[in-house]
Amino acid sequence: MYRLKDYAKEINRCIQCNFCLEHCPVYIEDGLESSVARGRLNLIQALLLEKTLILSDRAGVLLNRCLLCTNCTQGCPSGIPVDDIVITARVELQKNYGLGRGKSFLLRQVVNRSNTTNIATKALSLARRLNMVPEEFPEVVSPSFEQRVPSIVKPEGEIRGKVGYFIGCATNYLYPEIGDAVIKVLTALGYEVVIPANQHCCGIPALAHGELGAAQEAVRWNADLFSKLDVDAVITDCTSCGYMLKVKAAKTLENNDPCQSKVASVAEKVVEITEFVTREGLGHNFKLILGKSKDLERMDVTYHVPCHRAWSPNLIQAPRKLISMLPAVSLAEMNEPQRCCGAGGSFFVDHKDLAESILDRKLKNIQSTGAEAVMTQCPACRYYLRGGLEKKMPVFHPLELLAKAIHLV
Amino acid sequence: MPGLIRDLEALLDPRRVFSQPEDLLAYMNDATHKRVMPAVVVQPVTSAEISRVLSYANTHRIPVVPRGAGTGLAGGATPGTESIVIDLKGLRQVIEVDKQNLTATVECGVVTQKFHTLVESMGLFYPPDPQSMLVCTMGGNVATRAGGPRGVKYGTTKDYVLGVKAVLPDGEIISYGGKSVKMSSGYDLARLLTGSEGTLGIISNVTVKLLTLPAYRQTMVAVFAELEAAAEAVSAIIAAGAVPSSLELLTKSSLETIEAFMPLGLPKDAEAFLLIELDGHEEKVKEETQQIRAICQKKGVTETKIARDASEAERMWLARRVLFPATARRAPNILIEDATVNRTQVPAMVRAIKRIAKLNHLVIGVSGHVGDGNLHPGILTDRSDPELMRRAEKAMGEIAKEALNLGGTLSGEHGIGYLKAPFLEWEFQSAGVNLMRRIKHAFDPNGIMNPGKIWVDGGETHV
Ligand SMILES: Cc1cc2nc3c(=O)[nH]c(=O)nc-3n(C[C@H](O)[C@H](O)[C@H](O)COP(=O)(O)OP(=O)(O)OC[C@H]3O[C@@H](n4cnc5c(N)ncnc54)[C@H](O)[C@@H]3O)c2cc1C
Repeated sequence: MYRLKDYAKEINRCIQCNFCLEHCPVYIEDGLESSVARGRLNLIQALLLEKTLILSDRAGVLLNRCLLCTNCTQGCPSGIPVDDIVITARVELQKNYGLGRGKSFLLRQVVNRSNTTNIATKALSLARRLNMVPEEFPEVVSPSFEQRVPSIVKPEGEIRGKVGYFIGCATNYLYPEIGDAVIKVLTALGYEVVIPANQHCCGIPALAHGELGAAQEAVRWNADLFSKLDVDAVITDCTSCGYMLKVKAAKTLENNDPCQSKVASVAEKVVEITEFVTREGLGHNFKLILGKSKDLERMDVTYHVPCHRAWSPNLIQAPRKLISMLPAVSLAEMNEPQRCCGAGGSFFVDHKDLAESILDRKLKNIQSTGAEAVMTQCPACRYYLRGGLEKKMPVFHPLELLAKAIHLV
Repeated sequence: MPGLIRDLEALLDPRRVFSQPEDLLAYMNDATHKRVMPAVVVQPVTSAEISRVLSYANTHRIPVVPRGAGTGLAGGATPGTESIVIDLKGLRQVIEVDKQNLTATVECGVVTQKFHTLVESMGLFYPPDPQSMLVCTMGGNVATRAGGPRGVKYGTTKDYVLGVKAVLPDGEIISYGGKSVKMSSGYDLARLLTGSEGTLGIISNVTVKLLTLPAYRQTMVAVFAELEAAAEAVSAIIAAGAVPSSLELLTKSSLETIEAFMPLGLPKDAEAFLLIELDGHEEKVKEETQQIRAICQKKGVTETKIARDASEAERMWLARRVLFPATARRAPNILIEDATVNRTQVPAMVRAIKRIAKLNHLVIGVSGHVGDGNLHPGILTDRSDPELMRRAEKAMGEIAKEALNLGGTLSGEHGIGYLKAPFLEWEFQSAGVNLMRRIKHAFDPNGIMNPGKIWVDGGETHV
């Protein structure tokens, strides 16, 4: 549960080795030890546990200057869940000092998608007024992806299995082409795709802002919706939604909350789409189709590994494996493929300069590969990299490349 | 101290002067447990800036604490109250790698691993490999004489320093040494600053010696039921002239810790697990590998295994590599000791550590660079439990004393800092320590450089 006392022990486990200096994208830019996990944990301890410091603007700034990218956690010898601890501190701050009514209201609205695109559009314009999205943010699509897809899509021919599809907000409102690719690939592979109506946001944006209440609402709703389905897997195309559903959802609720069993049953089935496809294999017929796809333009792509990757062990190898199966596409690895791009969900909005300097490093690494396209499984990275690349290079979800290959039978 | 901050902001880019407690909190300690809030943290990026800060501090008698990555295990970078922390990570240029002369000159804030990667990409080799090299700095390594597994064959940082550029407390900048491998001119100031733990001045640049990258590596393990047999084998291996590039020991307690963290199928009944790496020309390495195997067999080894390829070698090293995270998960604080004895005394030292652990009701894991007698007892403790902390510190003193009794030294590679300062006289008696004090006084008459480190005023304490 995201409650500080539950994390006091975890904070105390930090052995102060400072290895996080190597992993923190913020520290790499500003060189300040108070930006890094060890400094932050010590700050949280002083501020909220030992109460030897009182909350100040500076403390707020430091706690908000974390991308929640989890790179420090992944590299931590003690395995301390730093992002959870920062989230908890934000929840605490939010409870005691508030985010401002506008932002809170908005985060709650965004979570609840059961309304209409109309509201999403309104929410977006409100977000614009609150400076929560940048100027150049794309318009939301209308109708949204969810509104235009049927609730069940069956494959032609023999059914290999049945999966649920969790539609993230990015796919729903901004990048429906990812959703189309997912459905196309899954059905081509022989899966029946179940898409329950009225899905909510996964809740991770609310959680990142410390809006625990809104996150809980999302978790309960989605757990209810998806635990009812009779499916072999719950597919997500977004690594952050996956992280939320698989790992974080349970932590938003009390251990003895009756909803926990539903949350767990969904978490167990959550799989990132690229991993699912490579794990299950393309199947005999499918390979043949791919083999004939000589019309697909020859293309070198590079892979930007999303930060929210540690929830699933093969998530970062799956796109690479996928590319090796596509005859016309080859992989050009970039330097430091796992380094953050600076997006951090909506971090880049509130920390424009910092995020841009993180992005610059990434763009250099991308451009020096000579690749013609970038692929990544995170829509925030996709949006942010697209902006940075200024249309010089397209950014795809790996599944879109696969979908393209099928198209060219 | 608003005057102080204002003055420093005038001396440096004000954006690199930090005085809010929220920021200072991050600089209250290194990898040891004591936490003290300094008055201010500054981040100079040139030796000229360091010079301005030092001469200001010297004029106003303000204590200064040099800081690299803050990974020190002896507390050298732990600030004193009202001190200025000089964060040196901003000096991070590699000034030159000279392939012809096999030297490199770097600024002090260069991260050791980045330096390794760079020189290795050029076919060169810088052996010192502290296990914190992912983040620690070259300056910090020089200031502590850091070492690592490769010490047994290649020595430690001190064996690679050819020259330094340093800023003295009065702001003077001196250079000593350089690319010449031979030098017999004046007092060896580079050596003096090496290992000085920030108490004499700030090393802004170092010139180090490089080697060429060995063409071939071979890894093997040897498992012994008895520690003594393993120690005998180690001595015999080195006496035979087959000096491995690493010779690491994991004792039973470390093997158990590792297995609990990541089941690797390590032997259960072994008292000693030796991880041996050789490097050099392929033919010679292969020959020496067989020689080592034969020696181990003569000494009653229960099992030897030679890695057939890189991935098998990597799996063997994995056990050593995960020891740190595995230990880290057992306790919130670990006092990592580095008492060092000569090779043949390793079994006696290990037995003494076990006895000390039992006596003080502590868990102390033992591993170490057995090839050079540098053991790393890891005392598991918890800063929030003062009674446990007291026992841990007591044990640390006892281990130190035991190492000295066996003819060893207080520190093989971490330095003295504040943690071992109370023990220094045990090693050098008052005459030795007094001479060191006089040397310090010659460099730093006002005592502003990292006071309270290496020795304490008042001499010997408990134990
Ligand atoms: C997990 C872990 C593993 C470790 N493994 C090893 C190991 O295998 N071998 C080993 O030897 N050590 C090891 N250490 C200890 C530590 O990393 C080394 O002592 C390292 O050399 C410290 O470098 P640093 O940049 O962090 O220096 P800091 O800790 O910041 O400083 C160390 C000392 O040097 C002084 N100093 C730093 N930079 C300068 C400078 N430019 N001029 C003058 N004085 C300076 C400081 O005042 C302080 O006294 C380990 C530490 C950890 C946490």
